[in-house]
Amino acid sequence: MTNNKTYILGERALVLEIFQTHLSQHQQNKLFALHAWMREQKVFIDIVPAKTTITGYLMHSQDPEYWLDRLREAWENIEPEAFQPTVHQIITRYGKSNGPDLDSVASLTGLSPAQVVELHSQQSYQVKFLGFLPGFAYLGDLNPKLHLPRLDTPRTHVPSGSVAIAQDLTAVYPSESPGGWRLIGHTDTVLFNHQLESPSILQPGDVVKFIPSTEGIC
Amino acid sequence: MLTILKSGIQTCIQDLGRYGFRHLGVSQAGVMDPLAAKSANILLNNSTDSAVIEITVGLCKFKFDHPTNFSLTGADLGAKLNGKSIATGWRYHAEANDILTFASSKSGTRAYFAVQGGFNDVTPVMHSSATDIQAGFGGLSGRALQDGDVLPYTPFNALDSIGAALPDYVDTIRVIPGPHIDLLPKDNQQSLYNQQWQVQPNSNRMGLRVASDIDISHNVSITSQAVSPGVIQLPPNGQPIVLLNDCQTTGGYPIIAHVIEADLRHLGQLHAGVHCQFRAVNRLQAQQALDQQQQHLAQLKIAVLHHDKKNI
Repeated sequence: MTNNKTYILGERALVLEIFQTHLSQHQQNKLFALHAWMREQKVFIDIVPAKTTITGYLMHSQDPEYWLDRLREAWENIEPEAFQPTVHQIITRYGKSNGPDLDSVASLTGLSPAQVVELHSQQSYQVKFLGFLPGFAYLGDLNPKLHLPRLDTPRTHVPSGSVAIAQDLTAVYPSESPGGWRLIGHTDTVLFNHQLESPSILQPGDVVKFIPSTEGIC
Repeated sequence: MLTILKSGIQTCIQDLGRYGFRHLGVSQAGVMDPLAAKSANILLNNSTDSAVIEITVGLCKFKFDHPTNFSLTGADLGAKLNGKSIATGWRYHAEANDILTFASSKSGTRAYFAVQGGFNDVTPVMHSSATDIQAGFGGLSGRALQDGDVLPYTPFNALDSIGAALPDYVDTIRVIPGPHIDLLPKDNQQSLYNQQWQVQPNSNRMGLRVASDIDISHNVSITSQAVSPGVIQLPPNGQPIVLLNDCQTTGGYPIIAHVIEADLRHLGQLHAGVHCQFRAVNRLQAQQALDQQQQHLAQLKIAVLHHDKKNI
């Protein structure tokens, strides 16, 4: 039952790819357990999980085949239970100037703004991977009732701390940037600080829960 | 200290890049031409990963406020010390109030400028002094240098001038074929190798964009995965993007090839309008090319050390 492949990209990047558009929780945790295993080997300078892949960049380009074999073996044998995520709570103010798209999200989904807030905040999300900006964590899976495409015209300035949704994902903008996600709330939690030894609060695999701020929901 | 009198198009502090944080969405940044930057440092007996100034296109002007030795490598951008031409690949001495200027050039794009002992007061961010212009950290306040900026350095007495021949820049880039080439229509799988590609004006430190007359547009999509400098993506419009130092950490276009590490240095020297071509090689050839470069640097290091010992 092979549902994955491994290959060398360029000279020193090893890629493990799972052939599925969407990983099960079992596979997802297995991937994060593999991430931890790869870190322990101390041969990778960078290890980057993505939606259905994990890529390890070898410090030295000698012998990528050997490590590709080891990676394949590790994937076969690794237990998803080996992965224990850190849980974060992010206090969020939803709506109005904090979430300028909350009302349009509500009307497009046929829900009330309060229902959108409830659906968004009642569940936990997992950091599938980070990218786009330093500390920008792709959080899934969003409740299917809230799935909407990105904005037709992206904003040129999305404020830092904006809580946003797009398709089956949600995220918090860690810094001001252009962006096409729909903004439903805002948090004061600083997600990325380049001056810290561990600059990003959210790490791949971490669990996030949004807590509606008691001061003025919607 | 060094005073930036005229900062030019994009002059920034870089080192060999930021590693170990890609999983947090942090780009590599760093010098586009590592061989040139390392050589610049070796000529001054600096550690090879010391921060240097990367000059893009030229059109800038610096003033040395204290005596020091400096080196210049990379493209010949018409550098002059007090109005007198100086050559790339060489180490020179500057006295206090000397003026270093760069014009521009049709043959290359990026030059590297290092001072003996490196620049003080450049605080590493995530273990690197590289300026990440997109994210706004590293280097000097996370931005390109501006007129009036000052960079302190430790003064040094004069060393004699020495030069080093560095391998030429070429426009044939060696690549290893990529994982998604089979997803393209059969007729287009060799297209990357069969023609000249023209560098587009919207190329920058994030990516070198190239185009040709033939149409290899497609509608293949892949799930976004980790990417890094050297990856050649083919977006649906059929115009390849060679990812460079400031590229994002993940990307969702098919990866049709990967530039070998030894040839990354050429990419930063190609400017808009020039043509380049791609040639497929295997991993062993890539390794040999990299070994050769490392040998070159090791020899240069020994030669400089030997020279300076003799002259003390």
